Amino acid sequence: MDPILTIDGLTVRFGGLTAVSNFSMTVARGSIHALIGPNGAGKSTVFNCISRFYSPVAGTCRFDGTDLLSLPPHRIAELGIARTFQNLELFGGISVLENVLVGLDVRGRGHRARRTKEAREEAEAILEQTGLIEFKDEPASSLDFGRQKQLEVARALALRPKLLLLDEPAAGLRNREIAALDRLLVDLTKREGITILLVEHVMQLVMSISDRITVLSFGQKIAEGLPADIRTNPAVIEAYLGREAAC
Amino acid sequence: MTRASYIVVAVLAGGLLVLLPLLGSGYIVYLANLMLVYIVLALGLNILIGETGQFGLAHVAFYGIGIYTTAILTGRFDVPFLVAAAAGVLLAGSIGLLLGYVSFRMRDIYLALSTFAFGEAMQWVYRSWDAVTNGPNGMRIKPAELFGARIATDHDAYPFILTATIIIIAATVWLRGSRLGRAFRAVRESEPAALAMGVDVRRAKVIAFALSAAYAGAAGGMFATFSSFIHPDSLGFTETILVVTMIVVGGLGSISGAIVGALVLGAVQELLRQAPSYQEIIYGVILILFMMYLPKGLAGAVGNLARRAG
Amino acid sequence: MMGDWQVYWLFLQQGIASGLVTGSIYALLAIAIVIIFKTTDAPNFAAGEIFMAGAYIALYLVIFSQIAYVIAVPVTLGVTFILSALFYRVVLRRIGVSPAVAVNVVIATLGLSFVLKGIVRNTGFGDVPRSFPAVFGADTIQIGDAVLTMQDVAVFALALLAMVIFFVFFNYTRTGRAMRAVGMNPRAAALVGIDLHRTRMLIWGLSGLLSALAAILIAPKILMTADMGIVVILGFAAAIVGGFTSLPGAVVGGLIIGIVENLVGLFVSTRAIVVAPFIVIMLVLAVRPQGLFGGPTVIKKV
Repeated sequence: MDPILTIDGLTVRFGGLTAVSNFSMTVARGSIHALIGPNGAGKSTVFNCISRFYSPVAGTCRFDGTDLLSLPPHRIAELGIARTFQNLELFGGISVLENVLVGLDVRGRGHRARRTKEAREEAEAILEQTGLIEFKDEPASSLDFGRQKQLEVARALALRPKLLLLDEPAAGLRNREIAALDRLLVDLTKREGITILLVEHVMQLVMSISDRITVLSFGQKIAEGLPADIRTNPAVIEAYLGREAAC
Repeated sequence: MTRASYIVVAVLAGGLLVLLPLLGSGYIVYLANLMLVYIVLALGLNILIGETGQFGLAHVAFYGIGIYTTAILTGRFDVPFLVAAAAGVLLAGSIGLLLGYVSFRMRDIYLALSTFAFGEAMQWVYRSWDAVTNGPNGMRIKPAELFGARIATDHDAYPFILTATIIIIAATVWLRGSRLGRAFRAVRESEPAALAMGVDVRRAKVIAFALSAAYAGAAGGMFATFSSFIHPDSLGFTETILVVTMIVVGGLGSISGAIVGALVLGAVQELLRQAPSYQEIIYGVILILFMMYLPKGLAGAVGNLARRAG
Repeated sequence: MMGDWQVYWLFLQQGIASGLVTGSIYALLAIAIVIIFKTTDAPNFAAGEIFMAGAYIALYLVIFSQIAYVIAVPVTLGVTFILSALFYRVVLRRIGVSPAVAVNVVIATLGLSFVLKGIVRNTGFGDVPRSFPAVFGADTIQIGDAVLTMQDVAVFALALLAMVIFFVFFNYTRTGRAMRAVGMNPRAAALVGIDLHRTRMLIWGLSGLLSALAAILIAPKILMTADMGIVVILGFAAAIVGGFTSLPGAVVGGLIIGIVENLVGLFVSTRAIVVAPFIVIMLVLAVRPQGLFGGPTVIKKV
C-alpha cells in the first residue's frame, strides 16, 4: 500500500474528556477511505486534528512524509489537503465565484502573481465542473442547501488537493443529489487521482464507494476493513444499534 | 454595482475639482477639506470592521496620533511637512499593528471593549501628557509648507487634500480586488474556513488593524494641513462612533457606501454643530432606524433594489 | 506624626472600605451588563446612559416634583424598567438576537445611548452639573482606621440587599429560572415552552432597573451631568474581571474594581483614577480574557 496519510496513536483530550484515544489509521493514496461511527465517536475530532484546529496530547500524523502536527492550521492547505465542514462554513456574504477564488489564492503563493483573468477563468472552470456556474455572482448564502454543499466541495477543489477531507458530505441531501455526489467522488479519484477521506453517516454512499472503512466508537477504533466485512462485523453493529441488535 | 460606484466616485471627484475655483467662500472649501478627511477615516475603518469583520473601536485614537505627530514634528523640530505627516502615518500604523497583535485572538465583544478601552486611554494621554501634547488645552499646528508653497488658507490646502483622497480611494479599490482583500473578507465570513483555505488569519487581522490605523493617521496628517489647532476633546469615543455611523449607514464592506456615508453624516454633523444635543439625538435615531430597517446600509439597499430589478 | 507604613496601612484600610461601598454599586452595574450579554450575546453600550437617565428621573421626581424619596425611588425603577423593556420590544426584537447580527445590536444600543444623552441635555436639565441629595446623613462611623459616612454604609447595605434579592429571584423563581434558561440555551428553553421574546424583554427591563438602582445609590456621591454614564465603564471592567458570563464573578469583579479604584486614587493620584479602568480592561482581556470565573474560552465546533 502506498500511504498518503498516516495517523499513529492519536489521543485528543478536552479538559477531562478523552475524545479520541490511541487512534491509528493509514489512508492509501488514490483510494476512498471512510471513517464511520455513531454520533460523538470522535470522527470530526480526527478531522480537526488533521486540519490543526485541535492539538492532540499524543500521537503523530504524517502526510506524504510531512509531520502535520508541527504546522499551524493555515499551512495545511498548501501541502495539498483540503476539507469541507460538517455544518457548512461557506463564505456566505461573498459571491460563489469569490469563494473559489480564495482557494486559488493559496496556490499563487510562491509562483509569479496570478493574473486576475487567469484566476477567474480557472475558478469558472471549477464552477462548471461542479454545476454551479450560473450562480457565480450570487452571494453564497443565497444558494439552496444542496448547492451550498456542492460549493464547499468546489471551493476545496480549487486548492487542487492531493487529499480531500469530506465531513458528512451527504448529510441533508436528497437521493438524487447523493447519487450525483457518488459519481463526483468516484470521478475525482479515478480521473484526477485525488485521495478521499470521508466522515459519513449515509451508509448507502459509504458502502457504495469506499475502498476501505475505519470504524470509531467512543474515541477508539473498533474495526477496519473492506465494506463487506464491516457490514457484518458484530462489534460495529453493536456500536450503532446496541447489544440487543448484535445478538 | 462596482462599475456604477467607480462612475459615481469619478463624477464626484471631477465635480469637486471643477467647483474649487468657483467657490469663493472659505467656509465651503473648509467643509470640503473636512469631508475628504472623513472619507479617508471612513475608508480606513471600513477595512477593519466592514471588510475584515473586526469590531475595533479605537479609530480616532490613531487619527490623533497622525495629527499630533505631524504637529509636533513640524512645530517643534521644523521637520518638513510631508516627512512629518508620513511619520504620523507610520507611527499610527505601527501602533495599530501592535494593537492587532495583542487582540487577534479576541472574540467580537472583547475586541470591541479592549479597543474601546485603548481609545479612551489614548485620549487620556492626549489630555494629560502636557509635556508632549500640551495637555487639555490643545495644541497649535504650524501652517504647512508643501512643495515650497505655504498653505495659509483652506483654498491652498484643497488641491493637496483632494489629490491625497483620490489616491487613497484608488488604493482602496485596488486592495479590495487583491488577494489581501479576499483574505480580509474570508476572515470576516468564516475563520475556520479561511484557515482551511490557507489564509493566515492572524496575519490578515494584524494587517487590517495596521492598515486602518495608517488610514486614520493619514487622515490626521491631512487634517493638520488645513487646521491650525487640535483639541483632545475632539478625539474621543464619540468621534469614533461618528465614523462607525458613517460606514454603517453607507453599508459595511462597501467602498462607495463608506464615501457616501462619510459625506452624508459629515454634512449632518457640520450642519448641526450649532445644536449639539439635537445632533446626538439625531445620530442615535439614525443608528437605531438603520439597524432596524436598513441593516446593510445604503449600499445594501441599493444592491437589493438592483437585484430585484435585474 | 505618622510613619510611612502607618500611612500606607491607613490608605489600605480606607481604600478597601470605600472601595467596598463603590464596588457594591459597580457590582450592580456589572450584573445588569452581564444578564444582557448572556441573553443577547452583545454588550449593551447604552448601559451607562440608562444608568444616567435613571439618576435624572429620580432627581426630577425628588427635587422638582417634590415627591417623597420613598415613592420616587420605586417610580424611577418602574419607569426605567418599562423604558428598557420597551427598547427591546420595539427595536431589538426586530433586529434579532443571533450572533450574526450582534454587530447590529451593539450599534442599536449605541444609538440608544446617544438618544438618551441628547434628550437629557435637551431638557435643560442636564446642562448644569447637579447634585443629588444624600438621604442618610453625613455622620461618620469608624471601621479600624477607615472612615465611612452613614450614607456609605447604607448604600453598601442596600446594594447588598438588592443583590441578594436579585439572586433569590434569579435562582428560585419561575421567571428567574426562565431567564437563566434563555441565557444558557435559548433553543432548549423555547422547546420547553418558555416565551423567548417575553423573557428577553423582562431581562432588559430588569437590567434597566438595576442600572437605575445603581444610579440612585451612587448619585449623591458624584456630580450629575449628562455625561455621567461614563461611570458604566467601571461596570464593564467589573464584568470583564469577573468573567463576562458569570454573575457571581460580576459581584466579585465589582468589589475588586471599587477597591482598586480607591487604592489607585489614594496611592497614585486622582488623575490616574480616570485611566485605571481602561488599563485594567486591556490587561485582563490580553492576559486572561475569561476573567476570574468565566469558563474556558469556547471553541466553536466545526
